[in-house]
Amino acid sequence: MVSRAAAAIRTRPRREREAEVLVWPDLVFIEFISALIFSIALMVLSAMVNAPLLNRADPDTTPNPSKAPWYFLNLQELLLHMEPAWAGVIVPTIALVLLAAIPYWDRDQEGQGVWFGTKFAGRLTVFGFTAATLITSLLIIWDGSLHVVWTENVIRGLGLNSDFAWPGGLDWFRNLRGFDTGIPWDSLGFTIGGFTMFDDWRAIPLGIPGTTTDPWLLNLNFPSFLSQQIIPVATMVGLPVLFVLFCKMLGWIHTRRDIALLIFSAFIGVYLTTTIVGTAFRGQGQDLKPPWDIVVLEE
Amino acid sequence: MANLERAPRKSFNDLIYDLIFKNYVWQSIFRTGYPNTPRNQMLAVATNVFLHLHPTRIHRTHVKITHTYCLGGLSFFMFLGLTVTGVLLMFYYVPSIERAYQDIQELEANVRFGQLLRNMHRWMAHAMIILVLLHMMRVFYTGAYKPPREFNWVVGVVLFILTLLLSFTGYLLPWDQLAFWAITVGTTMVGSAPVLGDESKFLLLGGFSVGPNALIRFYTLHVIGLPLVISIFMAVHFWRVRRDGGLARPL
Repeated sequence: MVSRAAAAIRTRPRREREAEVLVWPDLVFIEFISALIFSIALMVLSAMVNAPLLNRADPDTTPNPSKAPWYFLNLQELLLHMEPAWAGVIVPTIALVLLAAIPYWDRDQEGQGVWFGTKFAGRLTVFGFTAATLITSLLIIWDGSLHVVWTENVIRGLGLNSDFAWPGGLDWFRNLRGFDTGIPWDSLGFTIGGFTMFDDWRAIPLGIPGTTTDPWLLNLNFPSFLSQQIIPVATMVGLPVLFVLFCKMLGWIHTRRDIALLIFSAFIGVYLTTTIVGTAFRGQGQDLKPPWDIVVLEE
Repeated sequence: MANLERAPRKSFNDLIYDLIFKNYVWQSIFRTGYPNTPRNQMLAVATNVFLHLHPTRIHRTHVKITHTYCLGGLSFFMFLGLTVTGVLLMFYYVPSIERAYQDIQELEANVRFGQLLRNMHRWMAHAMIILVLLHMMRVFYTGAYKPPREFNWVVGVVLFILTLLLSFTGYLLPWDQLAFWAITVGTTMVGSAPVLGDESKFLLLGGFSVGPNALIRFYTLHVIGLPLVISIFMAVHFWRVRRDGGLARPL
């Protein structure tokens, strides 16, 4: 009895003995040399750069900024732009599950065993990586309100208006939180079938009717629900979809492997950008700063 | 003419060679000499406990550096190096909040090569994370996750998570400000999970904040719990590489 997964696999008909080399010495030699190079390189690095050791841990003195280890700073970066439950737990979990699921979705055996096995693989990789890096950087700049600072500085600097300030009417475009305060939600309210927008979003009765006189109220905390959950999630789902549609339009996508290449490359771009920004560009109060301006204060 | 039948006198080099390699003790360890025929070279791989993870023969394209850049093997090599340096560090380190920080200071100041030992462990840990990530990218971009290697890709993702956890649990141990606040930030993120968030955080820390219980938990996970788990997954990972027909290559 052969399982379905095993039956779907095409096997290579013959062993090409003449194309094979012996593991000893060919492979063992390479492994030995690479291990040697890494040992020497790490030994030299360790002789030159000391592992950091700060003051003894003190729960009463908080460093500002406080940062997780560098490999989690991508998540800490997400934390600044959305609800903590999404940034710290749900997004990474979904990302890892999707990552693990790639081979169960892209099951075609064509293109395995060679670098960038499809016709447009190179373009998809470069586009996915570059576009994702660029868009992520722009989104971070926007949510850090750097565009506000830059616009004000440029207009003041050019002498057009020496006390120019970001117009109040554009407060909603300052950053993600701007959607909460910059839009007059109360005056935009309306009613659908006894459900008042947006006040009723703050207390949605849940629970089985009739079982309790005091239903459990779900507080969706409206404007913040929009800016901290709906918009970030829509961005994280929508941008990859747009990427795929755009590349389909260009005729670069023909197989699932192409989609996987595009999305994986974009993922690597986002992963790297958020890690680098979180590591090198976040100063006190997690404000965006160039690396040379970052000082850690103990408070 | 009896002289002709006598064996020629051995040179000094031959004498030394025989003294080292042809004595009873050496030959009890290495039963044969250097394997210089294809048959013996295959036997050398197949019968050696350390080398037998390998097949005896391998496709020509797979020994090209640019095909794998040795990333998976180097990740494993980092694990081995971290085990060795880690065991040495354990001689000098006691996981209590009274002693941990002081032990690291004394390791750096009073132990010969102590600072170097700690540096090696630190930089190898960082290198391992980077190598594992690069290895994952190599496998992805060469399409090596495709059937029949689906499950091994999943095992690889688990190994990636375990690598991060190993590094994260080790991060707390020096008990300095960097360690303490990094773990505080990290575990606060865990605590924000929508379901069982606070419970997971409590389980991880053995309390509501980073303290002595957290230190002993992280230490135990770091030096025995996670290494055991990752060893099992690594064994499966390597075994499956062999079982799935070695490295992927075009049909």
